[in-house]
Amino acid sequence: MKGLLIQLQVVYAILLREVKTRFGDHQWGYAWALIEPSLWVLTFVGIYHVMGRMAPPGMSMIAFLATGIVIFQLFRNTSAQAMAAITANRGLLFYPQVRPLDLVMARAVLEGATQVVVFAMLMGAAALIEGSLRVDSVLTTLLGMLLAGGLGLGFGLVLCGLNTLSPTVERLHGPLVRPLFWLSAVFYPIDSVPTALRNILLYNPIVHAIELVRDGWFPGYQTRHIDPWYPAGWILVLLFFGLSLERVARRRLQLS
Amino acid sequence: MIELHQLTKAYPTRQGLNVVLDAVDFVFPARTNVGVLGQNGAGKSTLLRLIAGAEQPDSGEVVRKGQISWPIGFGGGFNGSLTGEENCRLVARLYGVDVDDVVGFTMDFAELGAYFHEPVKNYSSGMKARLAFGLSMAIEFDIYLVDEVTAVGDFRFQEKCRRAFAARRDRSSVIIVSHSLSTIRSYCEHCAVLKNGQLLYFDSIDDAQRVYEAA
Repeated sequence: MKGLLIQLQVVYAILLREVKTRFGDHQWGYAWALIEPSLWVLTFVGIYHVMGRMAPPGMSMIAFLATGIVIFQLFRNTSAQAMAAITANRGLLFYPQVRPLDLVMARAVLEGATQVVVFAMLMGAAALIEGSLRVDSVLTTLLGMLLAGGLGLGFGLVLCGLNTLSPTVERLHGPLVRPLFWLSAVFYPIDSVPTALRNILLYNPIVHAIELVRDGWFPGYQTRHIDPWYPAGWILVLLFFGLSLERVARRRLQLS
Repeated sequence: MIELHQLTKAYPTRQGLNVVLDAVDFVFPARTNVGVLGQNGAGKSTLLRLIAGAEQPDSGEVVRKGQISWPIGFGGGFNGSLTGEENCRLVARLYGVDVDDVVGFTMDFAELGAYFHEPVKNYSSGMKARLAFGLSMAIEFDIYLVDEVTAVGDFRFQEKCRRAFAARRDRSSVIIVSHSLSTIRSYCEHCAVLKNGQLLYFDSIDDAQRVYEAA
């Protein structure tokens, strides 16, 4: 129990320092971290508007795209941050109570929390424009976000561990994750996809997380094909491999 | 007190394995200042990192009783883009001690003046060592692990460090690694020599000197 408290204290200390080094002293530093992903979503809203594409019935375009893009970013950015955690903060391993896992956790939590705030901002904006806010199930929405963040953490942890064995692994993140942007039901409801293709896409656990968020948020949005246990299983497997790799990495990490 | 049991650590090099610690059994007695002499590359810093727990041994174990510092030296572990003060805050939080106390004490002790609020990457190595020293003194450790203390600052600052250690003799002890006999003489009563992967203990520093200098 005492060990857990110390570890929480360590993660908190690293998190504060991450905030400082990433966003700087400048007051707009953190604001930019929120504005940038929001602009990304708004860009797509603009493109869709020009193309004349509509959101599924009963949903605002901003809200629909935010559930796709921000939840995907929750996965992607968390995994990217977690992956680079050791490379970026190696010096901290100098302090015996800091373990590689703490570095990964601090970054994942900070990035995850940032994306959750972005999500809340965009959904709030959409509600203001619509003039009403009805959330079907807050719990289901949160579960979907937790799963997306958990997938990011697990995937990032595995890459982080592999990265200490061979530094080229870091370069694989982009090529691996970029195609997933198009294969994760970011721009379309999974039920609108033809059956044959859908059955393939459903192997992607991020689809389940994103659709779960939509299912939870939009009243009347129903997905028949998703299963929260599926991404949960992925997370368990990824964490298992990631944590085993961390044990190997702890021995191999040499301090300069 | 610190006990080493069958502690082994080797590094792969192009010439094969370099065994810096070969199944070392050793006891650092409580409340005793011990110096560890060793040539450059003998594995002194590795030994300190293993004792601190910042690095894992290949086999064997380290048994620690009491709160032990990180290896204090040229300021490994500082983040260059953060100021001295911010680094102090970070370390205080890592150790769960009062942040303002630590910052105040370190600012006084390290005498860095305005540089305390400058990014650490702009520090000279002497300044980094002062910061590391002041910061470690701000946190109450039972055992201080010190790497090459001679490098820390000028004569006056060294005197200050000596007095600070002397003032907390009854609470804390020091383990110093160095290649310099005079450093070890001025801090320690007992001495060990790290040589060929073995750690040999001597009650008197003179005996240690003989073994150390006998190449």
